[in-house]
Amino acid sequence: MTFEDALQQALNGLSFGALLFILAAGLSLIFGMMDVVNLAHGAFYMLGAYVALSVTRATGSFWIALIVAPLALAAFGLIIEPLLLRRLRGRHLDQVLITIGLSLVIADFIRLRDDWGWGATVRSLPFPAGLDRSIQIAGSDYPTYRLFVIAFSAALAFLLYVLHRRTRLGALVRAGVGDAQMLSALGVDTDRLFTLTFAVGAGLAGLAGVVAAPVFGLQPGMDIDALIYSLIVVVVGGLGSLSGAIAGSAVVGPADTFGKVLFPQFALALIFAIMALVLLFRPTGLLGRVRIGR
Amino acid sequence: MSRPALARAAIVAVAWLALATFPEWSQFWESSRFATGIIRQILIFAIFASSLDLLVGYAGLPSLGHAAFFGGGAYAAAIAAQRLGTDELVVSLGAGILGAALLALAVGFLAVRAVGIFFLMLTLALAQMVFAIAFQATDLTGGSNGFSAVHRPILFGIDFNAAGNLYLLVCVTFLLVLLLLWRITTSSYGRALVGVRENERRMRALGYDTRTLKLSAFVLAGAIAGVAGALSSYEFRFVSPNDVALSTSVTGFVMVLIGGAGTLFGPVLGAAVVLLIERVLPSQLPAQTVLGIVFILFVVFARQGIAGALRRMVRA
Amino acid sequence: MIEIRELRRDFGGIRALAGVDLRVEAGERRAVIGPNGAGKTTLFNVLTGELPATGGTMRLGGTNLDSLTTWQRARLGLARMYQRNELFNPLSARENVLLSITSLGGAYRPLRSPTSAEVAGAEAVLAQVGLEGRGAVPARALSHGERRQLELALALARRPRVLLLDEPTAGMSPAETQRIAALIAALDRSLTLLIVEHDMDVVFRLADRLTVLHEGRAIAEGTPDEIRSDRQVHDVYLGKVVES
Repeated sequence: MTFEDALQQALNGLSFGALLFILAAGLSLIFGMMDVVNLAHGAFYMLGAYVALSVTRATGSFWIALIVAPLALAAFGLIIEPLLLRRLRGRHLDQVLITIGLSLVIADFIRLRDDWGWGATVRSLPFPAGLDRSIQIAGSDYPTYRLFVIAFSAALAFLLYVLHRRTRLGALVRAGVGDAQMLSALGVDTDRLFTLTFAVGAGLAGLAGVVAAPVFGLQPGMDIDALIYSLIVVVVGGLGSLSGAIAGSAVVGPADTFGKVLFPQFALALIFAIMALVLLFRPTGLLGRVRIGR
Repeated sequence: MSRPALARAAIVAVAWLALATFPEWSQFWESSRFATGIIRQILIFAIFASSLDLLVGYAGLPSLGHAAFFGGGAYAAAIAAQRLGTDELVVSLGAGILGAALLALAVGFLAVRAVGIFFLMLTLALAQMVFAIAFQATDLTGGSNGFSAVHRPILFGIDFNAAGNLYLLVCVTFLLVLLLLWRITTSSYGRALVGVRENERRMRALGYDTRTLKLSAFVLAGAIAGVAGALSSYEFRFVSPNDVALSTSVTGFVMVLIGGAGTLFGPVLGAAVVLLIERVLPSQLPAQTVLGIVFILFVVFARQGIAGALRRMVRA
Repeated sequence: MIEIRELRRDFGGIRALAGVDLRVEAGERRAVIGPNGAGKTTLFNVLTGELPATGGTMRLGGTNLDSLTTWQRARLGLARMYQRNELFNPLSARENVLLSITSLGGAYRPLRSPTSAEVAGAEAVLAQVGLEGRGAVPARALSHGERRQLELALALARRPRVLLLDEPTAGMSPAETQRIAALIAALDRSLTLLIVEHDMDVVFRLADRLTVLHEGRAIAEGTPDEIRSDRQVHDVYLGKVVES
């Protein structure tokens, strides 16, 4: 591998990590607040991408889709949480099971909507105007969209960090309360808080779906890939904290990218090996506060 | 044997005989062959779901990666038969069981360190790695094309290529697996698994090496899933990455929960319901959507599954 | 039988155990008393390995426990009756006790049923704690007093060498308290007991010797009479009880 190749792959790894951060942040947020691992997170991501596809087709603008799709997913979360999860408050495992059922329904829905231009065939979302070319970096061409992903994700991380530090919701997340009784004792309307949390998490999944779509395309199975990657990121980085999501995506993104280049047959094995090592030697994840194993 | 136990054994024997002779006594029904095929598949998935129930229902280990051992067993059976150039049942079934058990040992070694939701996350992620291997190791598995033209096995000169013989093989295996699971769940070991489910901390204080207990259950369940996988490879003469995929793990989990976790016959009922939805439901209805909705309804309203609801009705 | 040296356990900045020394001879019945927050339950949790120690060493019958897991310590003959009942609720009383008996090895063989000797052993232990005839009742359906008795049966069934009793009479009526105290008093004298208990009548009735724990340290040790007359102990603990 030449220096130029290495630099190029490093940027690719960074941009994949940046995307994983958007994806994992939502999953981690929901877990941090509600103690629920949302297994429909991948399906939300997929739905976000397909909504973006429709919006872009209708309006001709990726940028409108970038705003509309996350909002649509957040609205969906606002409906789903009170409808399904609220009934099972305190039964965390059952809430997780519900999200499995939900992901089945969403994926099937997308597969069957040929008439909306969704369906089971591979679809693609063009790069937005202005970001569809390459620029020269260290003597080789590099797609500007990937640089945009890095910048966008960094800006999002900064925004989330500020919210985390400055808002009441952020304070609650940082405290890692996650206990409905404790929250009520603090005078928090837990139903509203959890619904809001779930909506924001779903919105982040949708956002990741839009941002990823021009790079990876849209096809059946993308929901499962997204779910697996986000699970690995939060296990490696640590569940329920913003810094954990950052650390996990910073490790998994580049590792996966370099793995695919260096030993294509075993790329997945590499990130699973990293996950296994973290589990064995650091059961809370790199920066987590929740112990996953013993 | 006590009288109720004797009566129960008699009922099981009669029910099984009726099941095993289904192709004979239903032969004048126009859909007999179709129904026999469906029953064969239900029984294969019932074995799979029952093995998962040993984890989910008895040991309290919510595995969302059980397809790794179903598909792993199917691949191991098919590959062993092809590479060794034999159709002997002992070889392919043995390879299926062994392959699945070894995979379960590797996955379980990591997964049993986690509890509850984290166990579920880890089994899901690790099984996905098995899926990736099945997908990428094209030389061994045929990759995305799958492993086709699997031979149906022979045993003592009985050729299971004949549909009737295959049906009997599945019926007999189903009976043996259920008897084995009944024996396991009623043994001291089975009680110990329930102990782990109910209060793992206390089990450790009683001197139980709970990690070994959980790992052993995981391997045992994986091996039985391997039996189901091998049978499935005979049934469809085809193994594909789909057999290892998350959707198959989810299907197994749905069967266990709909039927009733922690019961012997619950997963069998669940397998029947799910396969009937998938295979018999009018094709214009979206099967996965129906399955997802049914699953959600059961989790919310009937967490004990069909078996639990029936039991409550009998008591009331 | 039990030898604890310089045992420490911190929770964040809080010293729950600040260097506890404790030596209990084989067959001795030792009570550990002290006000709430003195570190008694923490001492038990660290001794059984349910909480890791921050420092110090523990020995059981000469074997160093420090690097052993909870289940390995239990195998050495350390049993515990919990303050809050930790039973297996859907299982019957007999099955609960059988779980404790088969932990000695039988439960690791998937095709083995409890032997008739094990079942007889379970019945004997149930009878010993006064639960004869209640073997088939699910643990969750027993009364609070019966659940405490079953909790004791679980600890006894494994024939331990050392039994930790964490507030055996917690939440009991006077009649139930008498009953469980009598059961404990009647235990085999070869069994080493370590008792945490708030009811001083029960303590003075059961214990050969007492250790007073205060702010994570053992501040006094002696026979019941010696402790009763110790001024320091009066100041930190007994005084309040005697006055009230």
